[in-house]
Amino acid sequence: MASISLKTFVGLRQSSSDTYNSGHVFPVKHLPAQPASRGLRIVAGKFSPKVTGRNLRVAVVGGGPAGGSAAETLAKGGIETFLIERKLDNCKPCGGAIPLCMVGEFDLPLDIIDRRVTKMKMISPSNVAVDIGQTLKPHEYIGMVRREVLDSYLRERASASGATVINGLFLKMDAPKGATAPYVLHYTGYDSKTGGVGERRTLEVDAVIGADGANSRVAKFIGAGDYDYAIAFQERIKIPDDKMVYYENLAEMYVGDDVSPDFYGWVFPKCDHVAVGTGTVTHKSDIKKFQLATRLRAKEKILGGKIIRVEAHPIPEHPRPRRLAGRVALVGDAAGYVTKCSGEGIYFAAKSGRMCAEAIVEGSENGKRMVDEGDLRKYLEKWDKTYWPTYKVLDVLQKVFYRSNPAREAFVEMCADEYVQKMTFDSYLYKKVVPGNPLEDLKLAVNTIGSLVRANALRREMDKMSV
Amino acid sequence: MSMALFSPPIPTHLPTLSPKPNFTLKPSLFLRSKKHQLLLLSAKATENGAGTSTSATTVEPEKAEEKAPEAAVLDSQPNGAAAAGDVVLVTKFEDLKWVGGTWDLKQFETDGKTNWDAVIDAEVRRRKWLEDNPESSSNDDPVVFDTSIIPWWAWIKRFHLPEAELLNGRAAMIGFFMAYLVDSLTGVGLVDQMGNFFCKTLLFVAVVGVLLIRKNEDLETLKKLVDETTFYDKQWQASWQDETPSSSKND
Repeated sequence: MASISLKTFVGLRQSSSDTYNSGHVFPVKHLPAQPASRGLRIVAGKFSPKVTGRNLRVAVVGGGPAGGSAAETLAKGGIETFLIERKLDNCKPCGGAIPLCMVGEFDLPLDIIDRRVTKMKMISPSNVAVDIGQTLKPHEYIGMVRREVLDSYLRERASASGATVINGLFLKMDAPKGATAPYVLHYTGYDSKTGGVGERRTLEVDAVIGADGANSRVAKFIGAGDYDYAIAFQERIKIPDDKMVYYENLAEMYVGDDVSPDFYGWVFPKCDHVAVGTGTVTHKSDIKKFQLATRLRAKEKILGGKIIRVEAHPIPEHPRPRRLAGRVALVGDAAGYVTKCSGEGIYFAAKSGRMCAEAIVEGSENGKRMVDEGDLRKYLEKWDKTYWPTYKVLDVLQKVFYRSNPAREAFVEMCADEYVQKMTFDSYLYKKVVPGNPLEDLKLAVNTIGSLVRANALRREMDKMSV
Repeated sequence: MSMALFSPPIPTHLPTLSPKPNFTLKPSLFLRSKKHQLLLLSAKATENGAGTSTSATTVEPEKAEEKAPEAAVLDSQPNGAAAAGDVVLVTKFEDLKWVGGTWDLKQFETDGKTNWDAVIDAEVRRRKWLEDNPESSSNDDPVVFDTSIIPWWAWIKRFHLPEAELLNGRAAMIGFFMAYLVDSLTGVGLVDQMGNFFCKTLLFVAVVGVLLIRKNEDLETLKKLVDETTFYDKQWQASWQDETPSSSKND
């Protein structure tokens, strides 16, 4: 699908200002179809000079799920890996939900998971509440984790595989002076000698993976461009034990204009408290109002709770215009791999870190050869091919169902249908867009249209009422 | 497809078939204003039995002003809040017919058959109330109402048919005028026009136009929709734009 749309689309590059852009957009017409050019580029990698006397050096900037899994894969592939993380005990604000497939794919120990969510409640603007999760099999769940626990586990594993974990704050990067010259990273290193102030240090590496999150400095350095982002605002609330029982393995999603104009409000159970939050892209200044509304909607269930922490963080809405330049690639939130509709990012961060690292390992033949941009592009290609359907489907769902209150009412009504629940969970838990039974799909389409039409008809009557 | 759309008989017959309560209720909704609230209450009381008037007195006896709670449900909240001098109690949505988190269909019966229009009106009122006064969702009395309990023909009769009449009328007017114009310009009569490919294309364009463009704003909306559907794809393709030139830019 990349090749089909490339032929017609020109010009997005103009809008992003970056130091690397020579200022004119190359017309797309002369590009051959993707697979053919990929074939040529693989051969080019093989002719890269051998790295003599040492292995390839790669720096991973950022030690979250993306950085941790990238560093582990690189180190296991025989590459000299440096993982730079500024705060090793960082308690990242995050929803904290991971799909079932992540546990298997990344061999996560089960004690990392604080809670297994097996039921969800979707609540519409008029408080119609629908329970979903009856179609889940006994071994299926959504894992709730604490980010500090997950992140440090992945970093430990990377370190155990041979990566060097550096406690440091990435400052800037010098561009290489030639096709095989190294990148020079400048960072402030912290250790027992330097204390809190830290010391300016440099590091020479052959390639860099930028895994430093939504406000990525690596992205700024390579001129990756900006993305639209949502603000997620969350309050951690400790509620009385009897109320906590209700949230034992249940998470709630509240939709409505009062809660968020383009996203949803949530109550997610954490280790011993709940996180109540909401998010928005278009009305960031009203986020406090939306948070109050979310707390109001959940009032009876969190009554008597005490707010123990307030946090907010940006969520990218779409990938940056440029995810890769030279021998620097972006992964995770830095690249903008958060899905629409659900706002899920942990799994995609870890998976993209791993995919990028695998591309580097393969392109460098386990660290023996220098990599070039073509090898890194293979990671982009593989990523887009594997996950584009997932992202597109979620984008369509968000556009259709988060548009207005009637759409949200229809959304919640649709969630009551078992087929919908099964398809939703299957695609969420296993990250594969599976084509379902065509007859059921047709019925689903008819029901969706019916729900939307009914909800919108009621809406028009409501508008007539407000004289 | 075109034949069905141009045959007016079905829509025009229907107004005579619709039940009387439908007609008396709609005008009362449109004419409603603060002064007419009591009038509305009494009108509804005669339609739906004594249920509503008793709810007016039992739900909030302490409210001294003439704005009864049933009316408070209908009214937009800011007016109500301003009118009351004392503390305004924003209560939960309550209605005698709202039982166990859904509408009790037995209370909507007239002549042994459920009055679906009244159910639709009740749900509209409930949603309007909740939009203006969002409530906490409760586990003790969950809301389980599903709009699909109202049969499909009730929806069609109430919402689709008036719109269909409007659109058919527009299409008929456009069709008549265009047929006359083409006939006067080319001398080709109506029957011969139908055999011509170009005329059939014009017919198709006219039908699609009438369906899609119902208000002036629809043109802008359609353009925005087309942009929207492809925007996300463009954002993803952006990384592939600078493939060839980028390798020379490293230095």
